[in-house]
Amino acid sequence: MATEGTAIPAVRRRAKPRWLEGFLVQGGALIVAFLLSLLIGAIIIMLLGESPLAVYSSIVTFAFRDADSFGQVLTIATPLIFSALAVAVCFKGGLFNIGVEGQYLVGMVTATWAALKLDFLPGPLLVIAVLIFAMLGGMAFAGIAGALKVKTGAHEVVTTIMLNGIAVSFLGWALNGPLKFTEEGVATDLRSDKFLDNALIPNIGSWFGIRSSADLSLLLPLAIVCAGLVWFLFKRMRLGYEARAVGSSPGSARAGGISIGAVQMKLFLISGALAGLVGMQQLLVDKGALVQNYEAQLGFTGIAVAFLGQNNPVGIVFAAIFWGVLSRGETALQIDTDVPREFMIVLQGIFIMTVVIVYQVTRRWAARRQLAREGDVERFDDSEAEIDESRGEQASGGGLIGGGG
Amino acid sequence: MNDADEAGRASASPLVVLDGITKRFPGVVANDDVSLELRAGEVHALIGENGAGKSTLMRVLYGMYPADAGRIVLRGQEQRIASPRDAIANGIGMVHQHFVLVDPFTVTENVILGDEDGPILDTEAAEAKVADLAASYGFTIDPGATVEDLSVGEEQRVEILKALYRGVEILILDEPTAVLTPAETQDLFENLRRLIADGKSIVFISHKLDEVLEIADRITVLRRGAVVGETTPDRTDKRQLAEMMVGRPVLFRLDKPESHLGDTVLRVDDLRGGRLKGLSLEVRAGEIVGVAGVEGNGQRELAEAIMGLGTIEGGSVSLGGSDLSGESTQEIRNAGVAFIPEDRHEQGLVLNMTLWENAVLGRHDDDDFSGVGGFLFIKRIKELASRLVERFDVRARSIDVTAGTLSGGNQQKLILARELETAPKLLVAAQPTRGLDVGAIEFVWRQILEQKAEGRGVLLISAELDEIYALSDRIVTLYEGRITGEFAPDAPADEVGRGMLGDVAAVES
Amino acid sequence: MDLGDLGAAIAIAFTYFTIIYITGLGGLYSERSGIVNIGLEGMMIIGTVTGSWGTGFFTNDLGWGQPWGPLMGLLVGFIAGGLFALIHAVATITFRVDQIVSGVVINLVAIGLARFLSQLFFDQATQSAPGQPKLSPITIPGLSSLPWGLGSAFEQLSPMVIVAFLLVIPVWYSLNRMRWGLRLRSCGENPEATRSLGVRVAEYRYQGVLLSGALAGLAGAFLAIEVSEFWREGQTQGLGFIALAALILSNWNPIRLMGAAFLFGFAQAIPLRLDDFFLFSWAPPQVIRMIPYVVTIVAIAGFVGKVRPPAAAGRAYEGGSAL
Repeated sequence: MATEGTAIPAVRRRAKPRWLEGFLVQGGALIVAFLLSLLIGAIIIMLLGESPLAVYSSIVTFAFRDADSFGQVLTIATPLIFSALAVAVCFKGGLFNIGVEGQYLVGMVTATWAALKLDFLPGPLLVIAVLIFAMLGGMAFAGIAGALKVKTGAHEVVTTIMLNGIAVSFLGWALNGPLKFTEEGVATDLRSDKFLDNALIPNIGSWFGIRSSADLSLLLPLAIVCAGLVWFLFKRMRLGYEARAVGSSPGSARAGGISIGAVQMKLFLISGALAGLVGMQQLLVDKGALVQNYEAQLGFTGIAVAFLGQNNPVGIVFAAIFWGVLSRGETALQIDTDVPREFMIVLQGIFIMTVVIVYQVTRRWAARRQLAREGDVERFDDSEAEIDESRGEQASGGGLIGGGG
Repeated sequence: MNDADEAGRASASPLVVLDGITKRFPGVVANDDVSLELRAGEVHALIGENGAGKSTLMRVLYGMYPADAGRIVLRGQEQRIASPRDAIANGIGMVHQHFVLVDPFTVTENVILGDEDGPILDTEAAEAKVADLAASYGFTIDPGATVEDLSVGEEQRVEILKALYRGVEILILDEPTAVLTPAETQDLFENLRRLIADGKSIVFISHKLDEVLEIADRITVLRRGAVVGETTPDRTDKRQLAEMMVGRPVLFRLDKPESHLGDTVLRVDDLRGGRLKGLSLEVRAGEIVGVAGVEGNGQRELAEAIMGLGTIEGGSVSLGGSDLSGESTQEIRNAGVAFIPEDRHEQGLVLNMTLWENAVLGRHDDDDFSGVGGFLFIKRIKELASRLVERFDVRARSIDVTAGTLSGGNQQKLILARELETAPKLLVAAQPTRGLDVGAIEFVWRQILEQKAEGRGVLLISAELDEIYALSDRIVTLYEGRITGEFAPDAPADEVGRGMLGDVAAVES
Repeated sequence: MDLGDLGAAIAIAFTYFTIIYITGLGGLYSERSGIVNIGLEGMMIIGTVTGSWGTGFFTNDLGWGQPWGPLMGLLVGFIAGGLFALIHAVATITFRVDQIVSGVVINLVAIGLARFLSQLFFDQATQSAPGQPKLSPITIPGLSSLPWGLGSAFEQLSPMVIVAFLLVIPVWYSLNRMRWGLRLRSCGENPEATRSLGVRVAEYRYQGVLLSGALAGLAGAFLAIEVSEFWREGQTQGLGFIALAALILSNWNPIRLMGAAFLFGFAQAIPLRLDDFFLFSWAPPQVIRMIPYVVTIVAIAGFVGKVRPPAAAGRAYEGGSAL
């Protein structure tokens, strides 16, 4: 069936494995982004009258100065891994789940309910049940956004953010109502009843000689396992394949028989389940109860970590740890320097923005290079050139209205 | 147009000289030392197959791309044209193959955009100006109409008006008749003749050799970025031109295999929805039914309705006796339907995914390729991909490249390979050779004919009459969502053309 | 509940209308030029913190007094929002980062930046000192004498409310009667067509995005100066996203946006003033507070199929120069 003309062997193995090349390119981009951010941060530090070198070194040394400090870093990272994974799962399918914040709040409420009402369960069964209920809560709440998206096409950015607001009120209602503490005559801030011991997750810090003020727990290995599962999902599972197709080219996915709505819904549910686990560290390791001044913003920080890790499960784990280092650095700033601690948040913001931009630039450059090297001579097709030029990459996300993302 | 008229009108000294133009893109030389002359008052046709570099050359002239080498001489003086604005200032205008009109704006707004009279818009005055301009060239167009509501022929007139509004003397038309019916093409030619009479000069890019022979004064042939010949209509014919374009003798018709018709494979009954207004047709096993029609009359909707991608509001689609209307795309595919989409980027391939990932799209659910619990058998999928690539000679460095790096022809081959591997009962092929070069076209045609030889049914939807004639056992015409006529494969083109315009012709068989 | 409550609720609705409408108009310019801007919330946040600083600085430190001090505060918010939007513009137009990704990042950065600026300005990270100077409220004659307590809706309003109502005129005119508006809209509908006629798409999109940031910043400054009278972290309460929803609901039309903005403004007022209205009195307070969010969701879920965004919004424009 070969056509006339010079025959090129149809398949030819490349010298360098593709994944290694991609890795190097991505790694290179990360380094560039890193250095660029440090540079911008340095300028701000100098404007504030301090020495960038001193500031940066104090941040780094603070995080790693002892096992305790690093334990704290990992503690900060743990919920962020869950959060970022939740964001990434959706993002791969072209969905923006900004509602991780709300989903984890709901997860905390359902987990609290389980911890208090299912206290008849023996031993580790209780904590497992609590974790399951946390995931169910997150799934259910994410499912609302998913249903809205699939049935009405409402863009998930707006709906999930609105749902976040609803979740905050929901938690408030629960804490003031059905989950309110029942102890008599106790002077305490608003919270739920304290959980039984077997609802809690053991602190493993002591295994490493870390004081228990760092809440290092079994949740960290669980988070890493989840990262592995997410990686496996997208590499080797049908749903991951379908999700990537939907996120990249919904029309072609549909024509290939993929049900976009079903895929999107499943992604929201998985994402919600992961989101539900975000609050478990503070609930089951740290506080042992649902408290009024729970730690907030973990959902949004998760988005930042997801972007820093380029929505890649491996990258996310490292990005979360990196974020932990920077967050610890806030304290370092306070102690060792005259730079206000809020500078750290600005630096974190600079990092995210720079990474996002550098990655985009790199991706386009790499695509152009691949086109030049691997593209067929026939590739350049007059009429298609203009179309491809103006359409650019097939990308996820779009306007705020849209079937199929 | 004959020599006598032409000699009287066209002056001998060239208006535009493109001298040694070279233009490179990553990985390919699109124009290789190309030289071309345009004389005042002539229609100069620039022909070549897809990828030959004709559009690129004209875009260089129009200032959209900078040339890597060579120069442009206008009216005897060398010019630097660095942007479309420069080109327009020099009197050169271009109408692209894919119209660039702002749909929600009016005709007038589209015409004046970028060249408005002042910071405040005076709609009345502008509309009057546009109306005057149109009238002076005999164009019928309503300056206040919204572009969204216009027909394709009218849209084209707006594009030409845009150029005329800016006082161009030289008009470049890129594949202007690709989207027109035969009658609209004649309208266009009328308008072009009027423009020539008014002293304009025209460059006419096309791959439609019959039309080129009709309208052109001179013809330049490009192949793979270089000029391979220059001639006039009276010194050449279609066969010779095609040979020059491709570099070897070209078959316009392949030998059709004998017809052994079987049971009805596809029955579409009074289908309604979107642009479809009661469409009925039938395809039998071992038969190729060609649906001829100008784009925009429901072709896409028909294909989508059959594949379960559109909404069916009335009527039915059945495959081999079972009603498939309203079923999911997956069900329809499982029932034995394969699909070559008209837009391979939007409905065919996922460009960001690798070749092997695309090779299994649509079959990734099969037991062969994924297991219980949703695990993918990647090794088997890659084996499939290698098989497909080999059988259909898809040229790629490896199966790990992303589909976006493949040429249009190879992308189409990949889709074909993937779809035909399933030995479907029915193949729905929509514009299967759009944007492909002659070699790839021949390949696709052979594959489609092979489907017929193997006793399968093919529904061919195409805007290219050549293709319809080359492949079909029966031709039906589609106009405004309904089938308006049925013709034998040897029916004369003007009859089929009338069917495409809605003149209901007698059914011949 | 008596109608005086309703009047008070309407007054609050006017206030929130002002915030939502001005921000929405900003979003309108950006989206109609083709750049989706979900970073409006972040730009509003920047407006709140800088506006707070501005009013204090100009009124007290520089002694400019009424009304110039607060006006300068509003202007500071306007400018700061525009500058902040520059980040979104550069990222999406020049670097072609995905517009929604950029918007999300903008929101994240804004929260941190606001804290940082607050520390610099007010020596506290999460709020400023209460009781900042504001514009003298005005009372609309005639309408404020409406009977049954409804007149209270028109008493003691910030002059900015009137400005917001009047903004529809210049906005509509700029979009529909000016060359600039025609070109801006064409960038959002078909940038290829726009470019083919020699109009620089990037130029107009930059203007659209900067305007959106400036208007969102102005709305934020209004919130901080006129409504709350001090800066507090989180005071924007998602109003930037509600403005987006209003924009969608209005089908990107500045006149219909007024209606949508008022609808959402009124939804904000319900938990604040109408919580003992019989319909709402049985529900616990937290549930009432959900109402604005539920209203927003219902609104956009119900209207999705029926609106038509600018055709090219959300898609990066590949051709032409990047600047």
